[in-house]
Amino acid sequence: MNSIHKSIYLFLIVLLASCNKDLLDTAPTDRLAVDVFWNTEADAKLAVNALYLDLDSTNILSLDALTDIGHTNQNFDVQAYIELGTYDQSSAKVYGEWKNAYKGIHAANYFLENVDKVTSSTPALINQFKGEAKTLRAYQYIKLAGLYGDVPLVTTSITLEQARALQRTPVARIYDFIDKELTEAAALLPAAYANAADKGRIARGAAWALKARADLFAGRYQLAADAATEVNGLGYTLYDSYQKLFSYAAENNKEAILDKQFIKDNYPNNVFSMMAPYSQKNGNSSYVPTKVLADTYQTADGKDIHAPGSTFDEDHPYDNRDPRLRYSLFVDGDVLPSGTVFHPAPNSGTADAIGSTYIASTTGYNLKKYINPEDYANPANSGINMILLRYAEVLLTYAEAKIELNQLDQSVYNAINTVRRRADVNMPALPAGLTQSQLRDAVRYERTVELAFEGLRLYDIRRWKTAEKVMTGPVYGITWNNNGQRTVVQVVSFNRAFDKSRHYLWPVPQKERDLDPALSQNPNW
Amino acid sequence: MYGIAMLLTLAASAQQVLKTAGQVRSGKGEKLPGINIQVKHSGKGTVTDAEGRFALTVAPGDTLLVSGIGYKKLEVPVNGKSQLDLRLADDETALGEVVVVGYGTQKKSDLTNSVAQIKGADITRRPVSNIQQALQGLAPGVTVLDRGGAPGVSNATIRVRGITTFNINSSSTSGYDLGKNDALVIIDGIEQRMQDINPEDIESLSVLKDAASTAIYGSRATNGVILITTKRGKSGKLTVNYNGYYAWQKSVNKPQMMDIESYMREQVVAYTNAGVAVPARFSEESIQQYVNATDRYKYPMPNTWFNTMLKTSPQQSHVLSLSGGNEVVKTRMSVRYQDQQGIVENYSDKLSEVRMNADYSPLNSRVHFAGDINYRNNSNTKPTVEPFNNMFHGSLWAVPKYPDGTYGLSTQGNNPLMFDEIGGLSKQGIDYFLGNVRGDVDLLPGLRFSSQFGTRVMYTQQKNFTNSYTNTDKNTNITKTVANNSLTEVRNTLREYTWNNLLTYEHSFGKHDLKALAGYSQIDNKQTFLSAYRERFYNNDITSIGQGANDGTKSNSGSDAEYGLRSYFGRINYAYAGKYLLEVNGRYDGSSRFADGKRYSFFPSFSAGWRIAKEQFFAPLLPIVNDLKLRGSYGKTGNQSVDLYSYYDALTATSYTFNGVPVPGYRQTTLANTDLGWESTTQLDLGLDAAFLDRRLNITADYYRKLTSDILLNLDIPATVGLNAPPQNAGAVENKGVEIAVNYNSKQNSHFRYTIGANFSYNENKVTDLKGTGPYITGSDIDPRYIIKKGLPINTLWGYQTDGLFQTAEEISKYPTLASNTQPGDVKYVDRNNDGKIDANDMTNIGLSFPKYTFGLNAGLQYKEFELNVLIQGAAKVDTRLSGALAEMGNQEGFTHEIYANNYWTPQHTDARFPRPIKYDLRNVATSDRLVIDGSYIRLKNIQLSYHLPEYITKKALISRSTVYVSATNLFTISKLNEWNLDPEAESGRAVYYPQTSLFTVGLNLQF
Repeated sequence: MNSIHKSIYLFLIVLLASCNKDLLDTAPTDRLAVDVFWNTEADAKLAVNALYLDLDSTNILSLDALTDIGHTNQNFDVQAYIELGTYDQSSAKVYGEWKNAYKGIHAANYFLENVDKVTSSTPALINQFKGEAKTLRAYQYIKLAGLYGDVPLVTTSITLEQARALQRTPVARIYDFIDKELTEAAALLPAAYANAADKGRIARGAAWALKARADLFAGRYQLAADAATEVNGLGYTLYDSYQKLFSYAAENNKEAILDKQFIKDNYPNNVFSMMAPYSQKNGNSSYVPTKVLADTYQTADGKDIHAPGSTFDEDHPYDNRDPRLRYSLFVDGDVLPSGTVFHPAPNSGTADAIGSTYIASTTGYNLKKYINPEDYANPANSGINMILLRYAEVLLTYAEAKIELNQLDQSVYNAINTVRRRADVNMPALPAGLTQSQLRDAVRYERTVELAFEGLRLYDIRRWKTAEKVMTGPVYGITWNNNGQRTVVQVVSFNRAFDKSRHYLWPVPQKERDLDPALSQNPNW
Repeated sequence: MYGIAMLLTLAASAQQVLKTAGQVRSGKGEKLPGINIQVKHSGKGTVTDAEGRFALTVAPGDTLLVSGIGYKKLEVPVNGKSQLDLRLADDETALGEVVVVGYGTQKKSDLTNSVAQIKGADITRRPVSNIQQALQGLAPGVTVLDRGGAPGVSNATIRVRGITTFNINSSSTSGYDLGKNDALVIIDGIEQRMQDINPEDIESLSVLKDAASTAIYGSRATNGVILITTKRGKSGKLTVNYNGYYAWQKSVNKPQMMDIESYMREQVVAYTNAGVAVPARFSEESIQQYVNATDRYKYPMPNTWFNTMLKTSPQQSHVLSLSGGNEVVKTRMSVRYQDQQGIVENYSDKLSEVRMNADYSPLNSRVHFAGDINYRNNSNTKPTVEPFNNMFHGSLWAVPKYPDGTYGLSTQGNNPLMFDEIGGLSKQGIDYFLGNVRGDVDLLPGLRFSSQFGTRVMYTQQKNFTNSYTNTDKNTNITKTVANNSLTEVRNTLREYTWNNLLTYEHSFGKHDLKALAGYSQIDNKQTFLSAYRERFYNNDITSIGQGANDGTKSNSGSDAEYGLRSYFGRINYAYAGKYLLEVNGRYDGSSRFADGKRYSFFPSFSAGWRIAKEQFFAPLLPIVNDLKLRGSYGKTGNQSVDLYSYYDALTATSYTFNGVPVPGYRQTTLANTDLGWESTTQLDLGLDAAFLDRRLNITADYYRKLTSDILLNLDIPATVGLNAPPQNAGAVENKGVEIAVNYNSKQNSHFRYTIGANFSYNENKVTDLKGTGPYITGSDIDPRYIIKKGLPINTLWGYQTDGLFQTAEEISKYPTLASNTQPGDVKYVDRNNDGKIDANDMTNIGLSFPKYTFGLNAGLQYKEFELNVLIQGAAKVDTRLSGALAEMGNQEGFTHEIYANNYWTPQHTDARFPRPIKYDLRNVATSDRLVIDGSYIRLKNIQLSYHLPEYITKKALISRSTVYVSATNLFTISKLNEWNLDPEAESGRAVYYPQTSLFTVGLNLQF
């Protein structure tokens, strides 16, 4: 029996020996400890690359659906309540944009705090990275200032305790910060990148162009005009074709100043499945253009379609118009990526017929920008870059700033006409001798149609204070032939309201105020 | 050495042979079946039959050892007699029952804790596909929410004494994640999952409920502990057992669509109310065509999916076990095969397993060894695109299938039958292995050391294949194309080592009984996860991952994880004169999930009992109250369910692209919390056990109060921090409740016997602290909204209160409304805060998602060879929130329940139950008390009739026992959800789950 006992003890000793390593000191192999990072230039580059993830993407399309020119197609989408004016501070959309912006801000703060830890033999490279980070951070603040007004100004990593006592900084100081940062960034950034592998990286032009945008939003018109002028001479020009501007062929063209870059398979977006008509492999038509947008496009002679003596033909509403109408929107008779023809009328019997399903466009229009036939095969796997800022906007920003400054010189006409006279747009140039008010209308028209569904309209109708007029009442769509009778489509059960006492700014999210009682709320929310 | 001993024994028995037979009765004269009779020092033995009879071949000088649970052991010398009639005295001290507790057993009479024990036979009485279901209605304080579930995928959850904790970071349409509330399951000393055991292998199952019984499992014990002990071999002749059944499953409910004419006319009203033109399909002419059509391929019915797709399908199970041995070696082996087909095509689950338990006790030795092996293979199939959502949503007016085999499509391009049949299959295979060796040695009298080493290995392989196909509806030309087929293949491994060491000591002196236990345990768990994706396979039959496109679309991902748990624990039991009982437990747990310095925590408990019945003064009452014990306990337990490395400041790999070339990146994503520590629960329990009527009536009652604090929550943090929230120790939840179990056995000496068991539980749950944060609200207007808020139960349903329907424009003008152009017939939402508008501030609690009361009633009746068993079970004070198509009453594009037919508001029908329908308008289906249905129910969970074949028949076939039975589950339910054709146990929401089934079973049990 003794041998049995001995063997038990031996067994236990072997077990004890095999369990010697500390069981509780496990180290993860699925993440990187902070203390092994921030050593080399390569680390700095890896970290700056990750900052681009926070740039806006297809969500810019959703912002236009909160304006008169777009509509949130599904009545149960959370942002439909914003469009209706029935939202409150608990809106998931209002919280989501806030949260994403601060995520980007923290990422840049964290980068800027740590980048100097790395050893580098090329200070210019580290400076360039800092310039990229500062520009990306300013990008988020421009958005926050435009959507919420006063917001907390966070420029370093903060602790939970600090976050729970943050106060809002007046929006003017936010714009001061943006101005300072972008000016600094412009000095740190190269005018262009020699290496093709860096295409899509933020260069000096992006910093100046964003500054022009920010100052226009802030009403700092002279600064806006100056910043826009800085962009000139950096090599940006308009791309020849508006029609192809949002296609794969035009990626990284000379007009794109800032974009969110994508690549099929590896880092794709889903713009096709999100925006394409329903007949296109159950495209989701998430945000659709409205009659307001379609009717805004001038006739080819440069006149409003409602102007006296207009050449607008109600039976052929899409003919003889500013060509950007048919470059930007799918309208009845257009050939779709699948090769079939778009027929949205309620009685067309096609999958795109209004009312055939709640997924099909409820206005009868669909966005054509970014809907490329290459993506039809795999609709949720698009590699198309989303343009966030292009040279045409800089020209129009320059023009608008000068108009508001009442400096109505030839440079204003040149800027607007350059946009109108793009090779495949070719609209008549503005007549000379317009008043400030006429020029203001002209530049606003130009921004509306040139930049439709590029994420700027919401800020524009806010700063122009036109939202209270344009964001009320039902939403209309196409005009169709209803047994010989011309009928305008009205979106079912949808009636917008806009309370000018508070809707010019989104509320500070309720959740955020619950967690940080020091945050004040916007007026009348 | 043994060999020689055994040979000698055999030689001895060969010399002289005597056949002896007899009958065993109790002191009161009842015949006792199942009594173990062994020949001392021989390994031979037998068990008495139903009449208490036995027969054995012995040597004249042998001694018989007679034992049975609840009776005093008896040693009887054979003395050459061929007829032995034996009487067994009741074992007063043991009171029959030994209860399995943490790291040991205790006599029920000495128990000072709250433990419910269920016998294996009660678990396997009715055919169930998992043990969770089997526990329903059997024990108080154990709430089983049986939500059916696809074959092999149990949707039954067990909650011991309510919900103690929750997660805030992961919420879904079914509320905040409550996964952290699962009880710890220990099978033969090794932590496993409920599904990791063959129900037929279970000898007993104990549910440890109060802190005194669970604290010895320390940091994993907050949600109760379920201890399962498997059956082991007994010495004696070889026993062969076969238990098998064949069952027909069918859906308990089939939601009923409104009849076609009512539906089409309702749509006309809905469109008209929305102020738009009525589509051509709903013109009077078209309605007539549809209603009167005979060609349903041309004029399909709006929704026939529940009739088309739900079918009756089989389920079968076969278990064969062999058991036997002698004093030296005892083994039991069991083999199980189970096959369950789905009530929807392409769902199925197959399971096969083998278990071998062996015990070795060398003669005249102080050591004992045991080794168990369990291997199980499980293969499961389901469609990759599950059809249930589309049976309700987005699938109207589609022909299920044309005669030529093509499918009809709804305008959204959906057809659930098509998705099910040609969408592709997801297959999962699991290989599970458990090995477990134990050794005991008696070091000194009363002092025993035992060590157990267990290994658990699980290998999971999943292949989820999405088929490519194109289908065009020949009637409407709508086309559905899945352009690319694709495969996601997943392989996960789990390897876990458990090492338990126990030192136990037992000593009695005078009136003092002392028991002590000290232990050390460690668990080392390693897991790997790997998944790969490829698409564009040559066709849908070429499904090896290497055959997919080898380009940028292929991807893979994976991770490794490891955690450790190291524990020291102990227990002391002291009893004075069997009257005054004391127990102290403690466990000191260290977990790798926490940062250095926060790793270890101590979990103590105390309990005491007083057996009043043993007191002198109680003696006069004893004939009426046969036993009475008061007990109380208090203790602390923990919960370590927190993601690994939550305390670790780390960077995560990401990817971006410049100029069409992917570039890597690293970023911070989650705030690190190095202060993270244990979540703990303190629990008070007061209980009593009493016996009446010659111990035939037993009552156990408990009151408890549990307070869980420092709940590990991903509390929201200000978004301005810019990182995801780390878990923090915050929040507290209180559970209070009462449990009562009553069991009655009729006298055993007549042809007619019966037993009745009833249990009742009351649980009240309340969030008592959220560290000043919250409320946390999840869900939206179109799905259930749940709230976690101080003062309310976890996952309370949240929404508007309503006050009927508006009837006049005047009424509307005087009251705030949710929608701007509210009309008569719309829902009147209550402006609770009287601020003149209806908004989120007017919402209130509108229902409970977890039942306050649960109860079960078990009855067994035996008359001669017939036995009838009935289980009735139910819950009260629980609510279900309808959403999706069930709530939308045809306003969107979904299934429309017949309950709405001619029961919605119109100017002619103003006292209707439901509001006016408005197409594409959701004002009347915002989350409100109108959509909350009382989920209380009482149901005949199981009824079973068995026939035990008489011995004179079975004997001829060498069968010692045989039983045939028929049974039915979920046969009958009383619930307010019946009119919605919904199961009361289902969770709130869109009802897009695999339906709850009822089983009709024929079974056979044979023992050789």
